[in-house]
Amino acid sequence: MTPGRLALTAVGDSLDRCIKCTVCESACPVAAVTSLFPGPKTVGPQAERFRQSQGSSPDRSVDYCSGCGVCTRVCPHGVRIAEINARARARWRGRTGVSLRDHLLARPVLTGRLGRPVAPVFNWALGQRPLRVAAERLLGVHRAAPLPRVVGRTFRYRVSRRRPPRSPDRVVYFHGCSVDYFEPWVGQMTVAILEHNGFAVDIPRQGCCGLPLQSTGLFEPARRSVRRLARSLSPAGTDGLPIIASSTSCGLMVKREAEEILGVEDARLRDVSRRTYDLFEFLAGLHRAGRLRTDFTPVPLTVAYYAPCQQRGQGIGEPAMDVLGLVPGLRILELDRSCCGIAGTYGLKREKYAIAMAVGRPLFDDIAAARPDLVACDSETCRWQIGRATGLPTVHPLELLYRAYGGAEPGSAAAGPGGQ
Amino acid sequence: MDPSARMAGNDRAAADVVVIGAGTAGLVAAIRLSQGGLRVRVVAAGHGCLVLAPGVIDVLGYAPERVADPARALAPFVAAHPDHPYARVGPDGLDRALAWFRETVAPLGYVGALRHNRLLLTALGGLRPSCLVPQTMAAGDLSQGGPVLVVGFHGLRDFSPALVAANLCAVVPAPGTGVAARAATLEWPGPSGDGRPLTLARRLEDRSLRAAVGRDLRTVLGDEPRVGMPAVLGVDRWQEVWEEMQLVAGRPIFEIPLVPPSIPGLRLFDLLRRVLRAAGGRLQVGAPVTGVRHRNGRVEAVTVARTPREQVIDTRWVVLATGGVGGGGLQVDPDGTVREPTLGLPVHGVPVPGHPRVLPDPFASHPLDRAGLAVDEAWRPVDRSGRVVALNLHAAGAALTGCEPWREKSGEGISIATGYLAASAILEEAG
Amino acid sequence: MMKAVETDLLVIGGGATGAGVAWDAASRGLQVVLADRGDLATGTTGRFHGLLHSGARYAVKDPRSARECAAENRILRAVAADCIEDTGGLFVSTPADDAAYADGFVAACQQAGVAATEVPVTEVLRAEPHLCPGITRAFAVPDATIDAWKTVWACARAAAAHGAAILPYQEVVRLMVEGDAVCGAVLRHARSGEEITVRARYVVNAAGAWAGRVARLAGCDVAVVAGKGVMVAMNHRLVNAVVNRCAMPGDGDILVPVRTVSVIGTTDARVEDPDRVQASADEVRAMLAAGESFIPGFTQHRALRVWAGVRPLFAATSPTSAETRDLSRGHTVIDHAAREGVGRFITIAGGKFTTFRLMAEETVDAVCADLGVRAECRTAAETLPDSEERHYYWIGARQAQAEARPVDDPLVCECELVSRQDLLVAAARRPGLDLDDLRRALRLGMGPCQGGFCMARATGLLHEAGHLDRAAANAALRDFVEERWRGIQALAWGDQLRQMRLDAWILLGVLDLEHLPE
Repeated sequence: MTPGRLALTAVGDSLDRCIKCTVCESACPVAAVTSLFPGPKTVGPQAERFRQSQGSSPDRSVDYCSGCGVCTRVCPHGVRIAEINARARARWRGRTGVSLRDHLLARPVLTGRLGRPVAPVFNWALGQRPLRVAAERLLGVHRAAPLPRVVGRTFRYRVSRRRPPRSPDRVVYFHGCSVDYFEPWVGQMTVAILEHNGFAVDIPRQGCCGLPLQSTGLFEPARRSVRRLARSLSPAGTDGLPIIASSTSCGLMVKREAEEILGVEDARLRDVSRRTYDLFEFLAGLHRAGRLRTDFTPVPLTVAYYAPCQQRGQGIGEPAMDVLGLVPGLRILELDRSCCGIAGTYGLKREKYAIAMAVGRPLFDDIAAARPDLVACDSETCRWQIGRATGLPTVHPLELLYRAYGGAEPGSAAAGPGGQ
Repeated sequence: MDPSARMAGNDRAAADVVVIGAGTAGLVAAIRLSQGGLRVRVVAAGHGCLVLAPGVIDVLGYAPERVADPARALAPFVAAHPDHPYARVGPDGLDRALAWFRETVAPLGYVGALRHNRLLLTALGGLRPSCLVPQTMAAGDLSQGGPVLVVGFHGLRDFSPALVAANLCAVVPAPGTGVAARAATLEWPGPSGDGRPLTLARRLEDRSLRAAVGRDLRTVLGDEPRVGMPAVLGVDRWQEVWEEMQLVAGRPIFEIPLVPPSIPGLRLFDLLRRVLRAAGGRLQVGAPVTGVRHRNGRVEAVTVARTPREQVIDTRWVVLATGGVGGGGLQVDPDGTVREPTLGLPVHGVPVPGHPRVLPDPFASHPLDRAGLAVDEAWRPVDRSGRVVALNLHAAGAALTGCEPWREKSGEGISIATGYLAASAILEEAG
Repeated sequence: MMKAVETDLLVIGGGATGAGVAWDAASRGLQVVLADRGDLATGTTGRFHGLLHSGARYAVKDPRSARECAAENRILRAVAADCIEDTGGLFVSTPADDAAYADGFVAACQQAGVAATEVPVTEVLRAEPHLCPGITRAFAVPDATIDAWKTVWACARAAAAHGAAILPYQEVVRLMVEGDAVCGAVLRHARSGEEITVRARYVVNAAGAWAGRVARLAGCDVAVVAGKGVMVAMNHRLVNAVVNRCAMPGDGDILVPVRTVSVIGTTDARVEDPDRVQASADEVRAMLAAGESFIPGFTQHRALRVWAGVRPLFAATSPTSAETRDLSRGHTVIDHAAREGVGRFITIAGGKFTTFRLMAEETVDAVCADLGVRAECRTAAETLPDSEERHYYWIGARQAQAEARPVDDPLVCECELVSRQDLLVAAARRPGLDLDDLRRALRLGMGPCQGGFCMARATGLLHEAGHLDRAAANAALRDFVEERWRGIQALAWGDQLRQMRLDAWILLGVLDLEHLPE
């Protein structure tokens, strides 16, 4: 598959807008904690002038970019720094090859499928230090890294016998791999919340969006994945329906990164992309249109809320803050830090674990100082990281909303890694 | 319900005021407006210029001779430059704006007065006039001369204490005065460093590394009553770092601003963002504004570029604070056309086509330098005939015509005063 | 008492030709002194687009030049590999070009011994995504790019290894004539003003566009016409291979990827004084507009820097036309003994960078014949320093080096990846250098920010290392700001103007450079 010609030149050419102003390097959370990463400007627009568009990339330091995207967001001049770096990383990986570990981390469906039938054993193993030490040696996955537990019954299985209500208002749910294999309750609550608001929810069969493949530098399989996903999310009879994503990173992939990083130019994908909404983005829009049900019961909790990088990358503000602000009794403390460090699978890797923890340290300190009952964050990998690092129950903000609608206690279903 | 109609609501937001730009002028306006009880959303393509600026508040440094007393120099200066933003700001406006600013950023402890320009040491060893300076630079006024110890760090690439001291010995702050400067160099703390000021500043926040620097500092101290150091004394925890170093030195230490990234600028940026948030304002970065929607002579919404769908923010007022050419607030085409790219506002002070835009001497005042927006008494952009472009559209900061902040040393003064006054005009209208 | 030295051969002019003559003569065993009024490679040589011709560009119009280029291209690839990047070259027929030219072009290349192979357009567009998708035909030729400063200094170092003395910043103030022969020159140092006498058995005038002036010092007349060529460096590589339009050579029809930039060239107009050439804003605009014909959107890309070089065109009879493109790019060895009765004095006139070695060979052949020295030329087989391994230069080399560098050797110039150690080593190698000399040696300050961030840094380091005292440091900094400005002031728009404004904020706003003590 040939990536789009224009999409490829547009990102690379944005380096011309760089005037070296240092805004990105002063905001980069990774460069702040390690000299292994010389900063987004250095490996991005600067180094790009030394990379032939055809040849391999001569730099290893770009591999230390976590891909959090802060640089692109803060650049006042429109340089696509994170995108340049992601492409350079793929070229670097093209030269050095991709390890077994990275192949595994890049394929959450595979991990989920392998782990699910033997979930008790798999999950027990995750908690066993000697086994984790062995896994670190063999695979390079850090022994203390936050890994999710596999559930015995997938989300799809759990909703397979559900009887969806009839409604003229329909939406498509893009649940992603994590909901299916690791956090099915997030999906179940999403469906419940949408149904509570009068929507019939279509849940088409779907695979991985390709984001982990992309961040590992496996662009070709990533392109295949996201194109396949675009087809899955737009089955016959769903034309024009909103597509709701409860995973911020998968949503970002479909909305922007597939085109801007992978260079996929595909009409189907573009259509899907235009219809994709982050769950809270959608709910906040409903509220503005006067259509969000506010039959809330009070939730007397103090919650520290952190808007993850991938959600900020969507440029939708902080819709979870807007919606949760409507819930009586809920006290929300917003955490103003740039990154928790995990950046997808970055913080799982043996050589990057310490960096990821250092990146997240200011956030963890703020959380500790706030002494909340719970932490809320929209991104699954960030939740696992924060939960593991702070020891506090860390939930998707939709769990709070679910509770406000009269559902179960948040965090009760989530025996996430934070509890280990 | 038609799905497209249902989806449209998702890409709308609302605010009382949309401030476009997250530099000094934009943040000042946004904070003041938030404090005034309005719902404010700052929408910016990226972080503003604060990290590029030395973190000092210049009001008027050269006119074109060095200015000792900006308060007194202001009247003759605006008489000579009737199109300068200061002509509209006025001495009273400047006074009020600066007083408000000092209070707003109280944790940084800005000192100084409009009646006196301090002479601060530059990273090349020259003296540069500035009006308000953060606490960490307070001891650095060299307008009376006197002995100074200039202390640098091995490997810090943007600061050469030897050259600074050598040049400093050659300057004459005032007739009959001079500076006796001596240079010293400390070891880079901790494992070998990349020479960047930001790395060093973060290292100095580490207690044990700082202790080593302190021990090193003690060995180079002499009789000089004050010590100048590059502005790397901590980012978040600057107060702790700076105070501890002074304690070690047993005398005042002042910071010397470096080329970007400027750490004092970063501290100010962080504080302004915190103050904005505390006042209830929202900041949306990575969000370039693509245009506005008008109705009956007023702006009713701002559109923001966002993949995959444009965002529309309904608003009652707009403050444009996107900066000058350097910040992208003004764009120049190859044929010399100067555009205000965000809203397409009329630009004034543009050199006539066929005339040079810049002169062969890089240090000269170039014909293009004063191009920008002209505004009415309520800080609303006007067209060439002086008519207001939109009744609720205001502008502030480096985008304004008639000034050359980098040459006049007037940048922050202009941005703070115009941001403050534009906000005041809106608050007055809002009642 | 004026210092005096004696030598076999004095070469005047430290461009590619002069350095080539010095290398050739020294390798044949002559004692050589090479003098230039400035630093080496600061005239025409240092101001060209960096193309190592395959000969294809001349094939239709000037077959002799084409053949020479084809042969020299092969030789230089072997002896100067480290200075060359094997980018390859393309000739593309755009929709605006006469399709019939392509057939004639292929035939002419074949005739001249230039390998030109037709390549499928789809393949070319995949390799060159910026190229106009409407091109109809494309031909691959063995064009390459060559670093002029590196090449000249490699020749000078090779000459020095054979015992030659290399004297930059030594201007010829007088040629000494005894009887009917030239016997040396008086040189004056450009900075110290100190004069020395070089007594030489033979003098070669390799002053290029300035050769007429040097010849006049011996009462000879050499009709060199200066042909101005304007070039614009774009901020990054828009193409991977040299791209030529497949048409009769004209203005703005070639884009050369050299180092980190791509250079579009060039114009051709006669100028009276080679010291007073400047690119006008109109010329720049015309050049960028011409780029649109093969790179759509070319004018929207960032133009980094503009400069003008002067071609030393030689006309046997003084030309009157202002049109210089039709003058031959060929070269001539002028023996002034035969022509004007002034012995032991040769001017090498005309020519082009690609054939500098051949020009030097022919010149030194004539010198040796006259001196009765029997020695064969060795430069076609003697590799230049750093090219022994015969590895071509690679665009990623500096980035790879930067990656391998210890963390405590920070970058001084981030745009071109010059580290502190690079700077200090270069400064120590040739004491007395100013920042502009270091720029040519290292590419310091040649990237997007045009020195805005690195100039003050570099000045501080040179002062600290004792290379510049306080006043000299301040002067060097100001001079460098002015030098950089010369090449960007015609580009005051778009991204580069934004950069100029940020640089002004740094240099004037933060550092208050204009009020620094003298």
